[in-house]
Amino acid sequence: MKISVNLLVLLGFILLTASFAAKSSDNFNWRGFVAQGIIQGEHSNYIDDDGDFTLKLTEVGLNGSYTLENSNFRLAGQVVYLNGGNRYPEGLRVDYLFLDWRAITNLDWQVNVHLGRVKNYHWLYSSTRDVPHTRPTIILPQSIYFDAFRDVALGVDGAAVVANTSNAWGDWEFNWSYGSSPISEEQTKNLIAPIATGDIEQKFVHQGNLVWHDQALRLSAGLLDSKFEYNSGDEDFFINGEGQIQRLILQGTYETQNWLLAVELFRERSVYSNLIFAGFNTNTQAEGGYIQGRYFINKDLALTTRLDIFDLDRNDRDGEVRAAESNGEVPAYFGFQDQFTLGVSWTFADDWQLQAEFHRVKGTGRLAPVFMPNTMQNDRKYWNIWGVQLAHWF
Amino acid sequence: MANVTFILMTMLATAAFAEDRTVNVIVNIDVKTEELTPAQLRKIFSMRQTVWPDGQAITVFVLKTENPTHQALCKNVLRMFPYQIERLWNKLAYSGLGDKPIELDNVQEMLKKVSTTPGAIGYMLDGSSTESVKTIRIMENSK
Repeated sequence: MKISVNLLVLLGFILLTASFAAKSSDNFNWRGFVAQGIIQGEHSNYIDDDGDFTLKLTEVGLNGSYTLENSNFRLAGQVVYLNGGNRYPEGLRVDYLFLDWRAITNLDWQVNVHLGRVKNYHWLYSSTRDVPHTRPTIILPQSIYFDAFRDVALGVDGAAVVANTSNAWGDWEFNWSYGSSPISEEQTKNLIAPIATGDIEQKFVHQGNLVWHDQALRLSAGLLDSKFEYNSGDEDFFINGEGQIQRLILQGTYETQNWLLAVELFRERSVYSNLIFAGFNTNTQAEGGYIQGRYFINKDLALTTRLDIFDLDRNDRDGEVRAAESNGEVPAYFGFQDQFTLGVSWTFADDWQLQAEFHRVKGTGRLAPVFMPNTMQNDRKYWNIWGVQLAHWF
Repeated sequence: MANVTFILMTMLATAAFAEDRTVNVIVNIDVKTEELTPAQLRKIFSMRQTVWPDGQAITVFVLKTENPTHQALCKNVLRMFPYQIERLWNKLAYSGLGDKPIELDNVQEMLKKVSTTPGAIGYMLDGSSTESVKTIRIMENSK
């Protein structure tokens, strides 16, 4: 992916140059957000190793877009600084940076092609998962928005097509993307185990989804296919290995004046070969999803409730088989994670929001590391998450 | 107390009245398009359609979400809830897909901006003076 990294640097340079050159131009827009919270994942390593309250809930972003005069081209980019504790690597990163080509545009069809670091537009909240005022809760449903997989699921260095049209049956959208994501050393340790010294390389991730909607109802079906390679490092416990993930996602939302109902369901097949010893092979199908209701008391105050279900293996929903295979080393509750959430969002002034929430969690199946679970710190079947976050956007 | 009640009732009645009134979609006089369907208008006001068929850039002007004329546009023309469209704008603006429309304080400003900005689109309550702009004919979704 060296080519795409260079491409990103080049695009970033062009965007920066364009933005400075266009300070007073209508062609340049910029926006941002800043958010700070306090959060606790009791009796777990979800946020912090000690499970105490922490301020590791910081999200800052700055974005800009520049439309090239009299052309069908536009540049868009966003830089974010994130600190989510153990949820994902802390630091500054390029969230997206792409060239947007308006390939087809008329009153009934719009087709845009994105090239560079493009966003994942395929799931309900994937394209703005770090932007507090665009999401229903601080912590998104982990069945689908698995934090340890955040950097991989956020987008790709590659290409995307975003299309929409309308006909007698309603409005239609189609999203397609192909590329790969760089995976950091910290994320490798999160996904495999802290003792892993090698690198994970995502060979590709290929996604597509089709959306139909009218004014109240929105339905979507999508597919994901991705391949990974693990290249072992010095004195590594793990050996070279391969992985493949394939996912089917179904989505639905229904809106009324005061209610918003959302559902996302998925089935995911994971195949891993070698990695632990030559000839090692696993093939499991995880299942999960959530149902979420939001009630808007008025335009500034919303209540959210959600039930999120995740089973690591649909043939071992209570995790007992896996527990037995590990001779009891990995408790059965690592085979699932079900989460009930209550939250409130209050926009108390223009562009200012306060969000507070409580999660009651059963199971630890969505806690990192994935391959070698941390059974020392995650020693409870039932645990809670509390969080409050203040956000401002401009 | 009776006076306060009367004033409140008058304000509520005015707001409800405005919400139910016909809203005209207006464009700058140099825009060549004459008619649009609600689906096409939804795409324009939700910032997914950014150019007119002749390639001219569309500049979208809106009033604040709580403005009764804006609510009437959403309800009667776009057939959406005001918060739905605001959520779409936020999603576009923070994911690189597009940008938010330009928000204005009142209808006077709306008329002035639409009449002086090439490619502009906005809206006014029916009966307002629209001499310096062009009114778009809204068709049913027939395609």
